[in-house]
Amino acid sequence: MGHFDPYDDNGGTVAAIAGQDYVLIASDSRLSTGSTILSRFTPKIYPLSKVTVFACAGFHGDVLTLVKQLEIRMKLYVHEHGEEMSTKAMMALLLPTLYGRRFFPYYVRPIVAGLDREGRGLVASYDPIGTPEFFDYVIQGSAENLVHPFLNNQIGAKKTLSDVPIQAPPELTLEKAVKLLKDSFLAAAERDVYTGDTVTLMAITAKGTETTEYQLRRD
Amino acid sequence: MNPFSYNGGVCVAMKGDKCVAIASDHRLGAGRLTVGTDFPKVFEMGPALYLGLPGLTSDSLTVVNKLKFRVNLYELSENRKIKPHSFKAMLEHFLYEKRFGGYFIAPVIAGLDPDTDEPFVTAMDMLGAGETNEPFAVAGTAEESLLGLCEALWEPNLKPDDLFETISQVILNAVDFDCLAGAGATVHVIEKDKVTTRTIKTRMD
Repeated sequence: MGHFDPYDDNGGTVAAIAGQDYVLIASDSRLSTGSTILSRFTPKIYPLSKVTVFACAGFHGDVLTLVKQLEIRMKLYVHEHGEEMSTKAMMALLLPTLYGRRFFPYYVRPIVAGLDREGRGLVASYDPIGTPEFFDYVIQGSAENLVHPFLNNQIGAKKTLSDVPIQAPPELTLEKAVKLLKDSFLAAAERDVYTGDTVTLMAITAKGTETTEYQLRRD
Repeated sequence: MNPFSYNGGVCVAMKGDKCVAIASDHRLGAGRLTVGTDFPKVFEMGPALYLGLPGLTSDSLTVVNKLKFRVNLYELSENRKIKPHSFKAMLEHFLYEKRFGGYFIAPVIAGLDPDTDEPFVTAMDMLGAGETNEPFAVAGTAEESLLGLCEALWEPNLKPDDLFETISQVILNAVDFDCLAGAGATVHVIEKDKVTTRTIKTRMD
């Protein structure tokens, strides 16, 4: 008799950079289980409102359930308040949503990216039980160990742990940030077998959202 | 406790244009305790041949001694300096002799071929399974960080100065993400008839 095994790891990598007047979020599109590729085009990136995007690696079943729940909460909020939930509110909401399942957690590595009310970029990452981190860039998923030092090197090595900026410096323009994340995913796909196929980049500015796709290694 | 990460430490090597570079950190640990901050893991095995040995320090030192003995014997009987690819073969055989109970090390070799000045870089596992045809080689407790950085920062045909900058940035940023490595780093840049050794500072936490 096989016993009930409620979790799987479907791999994948998600990342985001917060700028002064933009936010950039990216995800690869490979879905795998062990050494099998389940899908070559399942970007793990989900817009929740005009200015907030959610992206998530981990167990895809839990990812879909979590996204559905957040979408419902967003809809209820719109009906109640007559406007969409702010990025900050969504970041705050994710914490109790995850911690509410403290003893049977969603097996997820989520990030939230969006613009705040003033149009500045904001990004947050969470562990599966909801511990949030707010930095100028975040990365989660199977290639995080490969990419994290690179982004730290390029966006600005932190001198202390108590004084961490939540927006990248003005010198890091949107164009430069796009280049950085593209390079990060190319490097990740080169060595991480769970990251590959394509990368979806979403850039959010006051003007709106722009989505682009780039090919990655398919092996 | 894992013998590969008990003492901590990393090593990275990369190819350039008619040059190679190899670097290692300076930390020596005993589990989470740091017992030394002046312990590079790269050893000179010839005029243009260097061996990086992160892993269990007692095994690293044993392997260096035993290998130096074999290299000396080789050079006496052949009456010439050993070439990097012969040295790699020697190390592979040496490690595989201990197939069932090996040394807990992760060797990295960097050298220049004495005849052709062709750069040579390789890494292998504790049993001597060497990987070839890669422009860089990484090993140690921050292996993944090093690999990601090499993949993103390395480019072909780097001149010695640019190669030094690249490998320094790679090791610096990799050890910043690893509690078991750091405390400074040593970088060797190997050119024809010239080896430049520099010490670089890193965070000390």
